[in-house]
Amino acid sequence: MTQRKSSGKRTSTAVEEEEDDSRFTQPTTSQVQKGMEKLTKAQIDEKTTELVQYILMKDQKKIPVKRADIVKNVLKEYKNVFQEIMNRAQQRLEQVFGFKVVEIDAKNHVYILINKLEPAEGSEMISGNPKTGLLFVILSLVYMKGGVVPEALVWNTLKKMKVDLGERHPEFGDVKKLVTDEFVRQRYLEYTKVPHTEPVKYNFTWGQRAEVEVSKHKILQFLGELHSQDPQRWSQQYKDASSQRSSRAPQPSTSSQR
Amino acid sequence: MKRGRRTDSGDADPPQNGTSDDGMRVRDPEAGASNIDSQPDTNDEDDSAHRRDLRSRYRVLISSIQQNREDMLNNRDNKITEVLDEANTLFKEVHQAREAALDSQLLVVASDLGKEKASQLFSEGLSFDPSTFVQHTLSFMGLNWLEEEGESSDEGAATSHGSLPPNAWHRLARRAEACFRSTPAFHFMYGSFQAEPPPPKPRVERQRKAPTKEAKRIMPTQLKKMEESQQEATEKEVERILGYLQQYHAQDPTSPISYYEFVINPHSFSRTVENIFHTSFLVRDGLARMYLDDDKMPCIGPVEDGMAGDGKASVRKQCVISISLQGWRELRKDLDIQESMIQPPKSQTK
Repeated sequence: MTQRKSSGKRTSTAVEEEEDDSRFTQPTTSQVQKGMEKLTKAQIDEKTTELVQYILMKDQKKIPVKRADIVKNVLKEYKNVFQEIMNRAQQRLEQVFGFKVVEIDAKNHVYILINKLEPAEGSEMISGNPKTGLLFVILSLVYMKGGVVPEALVWNTLKKMKVDLGERHPEFGDVKKLVTDEFVRQRYLEYTKVPHTEPVKYNFTWGQRAEVEVSKHKILQFLGELHSQDPQRWSQQYKDASSQRSSRAPQPSTSSQR
Repeated sequence: MKRGRRTDSGDADPPQNGTSDDGMRVRDPEAGASNIDSQPDTNDEDDSAHRRDLRSRYRVLISSIQQNREDMLNNRDNKITEVLDEANTLFKEVHQAREAALDSQLLVVASDLGKEKASQLFSEGLSFDPSTFVQHTLSFMGLNWLEEEGESSDEGAATSHGSLPPNAWHRLARRAEACFRSTPAFHFMYGSFQAEPPPPKPRVERQRKAPTKEAKRIMPTQLKKMEESQQEATEKEVERILGYLQQYHAQDPTSPISYYEFVINPHSFSRTVENIFHTSFLVRDGLARMYLDDDKMPCIGPVEDGMAGDGKASVRKQCVISISLQGWRELRKDLDIQESMIQPPKSQTK
């Protein structure tokens, strides 16, 4: 009667994910369709709404959303129609909020929200979360130094800005925790072990969220302003930034144009 | 008497191994060490003036590296080599630890710069120097550079002096956010509800328990007497009825006692119901038994002592007896019951 996972066939499009959502196997599209037919429009709408709300709530802390969690907390018995409901939720988020759901980890099915719209001119007046400033410093450093830096370089640079690991910073508190734990969990940074080091040393690289959320071109622009330099003089990074720009989807209009 | 020196060459100069294009030089550590060990036997006053001069010249060199860092990095001239040459000359006159410490500080600054220059060799385009980046960023954030005399600070080569205004990081963040395409965090507009689980229930339960506890404390003193009397009343009644049953049975052991005749009180329906109630206790406790006689009418009789054992082993049956006002009247008429077998209790507790 209902679609049982054990009887589900795996097509070439189905993805193996035994680790995280180990009991959830991807049904085929025909199975999804059959599952959808069994639901009323009201049920589908309700689940879509719940999923949208769930994603928005999770986005508050900028922690990525896992598919396993979605299935467990939102979809529950509707788990075989996950893809359909997810598609509708994505559509709604795009059309109503201008948010884009990006799968940053295709293997484990982890999603984040980014803004479809470019930050509008004049929005600089409003917010200003100091953590963003700190993150900017670290991301710029990593980017301009070839994409990987040893953690020592980051700590030394921050120390010169009066952000000392050993002391509690008035603005950021426990800096090490903020950088190696919070920023990493939010996927802005990656903190990887360097093999064969004694004592253990780590490297910093850009995280998956940074790759999709941060515009390298804009970073270079700002750096150019800071140094009173033409950003094109950093030719290697400039080339890389330009290729990122062209690989991304054509930029939609900014909010001010709407 | 002069101290014997290790080096025979007389002069304690570190051998100049020639400067490479990067401006790095190699030192002979032994020569340096013996240099410091020796005690000059010149005039003390001259000496301290001379040393002060040495120290200030070292500091000039250090600050020149720091101030002109960008130039030294990005240009292909040999400014850094010149600095190092001068430092070498100075070092010839260093005899004491304090000056030597300044010399090592200079080395730290110079080699840091040298490392940056070396990293430039592998990247095309303009190099990126973290220290320069820091300086520019701090200026953007509104750093107040303080004027300080060279004497007062002997520490920290590349740390910046001065203080940041309180909203420095905010200022930076506002500009930096333009580089991010992040979503604004979602919060309820009228934040009366927190997105948190409701406060744990035990709180409510504890509050409820408190008043009832107090109430109970008052109640027992009053009710105790009454409750006991009620309980006792029921038991007393049951025992009394048992007494009646045994009495009637004893009068005529062979003839069965009709159940309805036993329980019905022709004068009061409520008393009848009470009698049924109390009788059921007897049956429950195994002190009486009910059975159907030949006419299929229910009868009741006490359980003999000898039968008690049987009673336990035998299968117990349950039934529900109900009686309505109508039924009571009919039974009273049909069975022609004039008097109740169970006398109502004398004391009126209800």
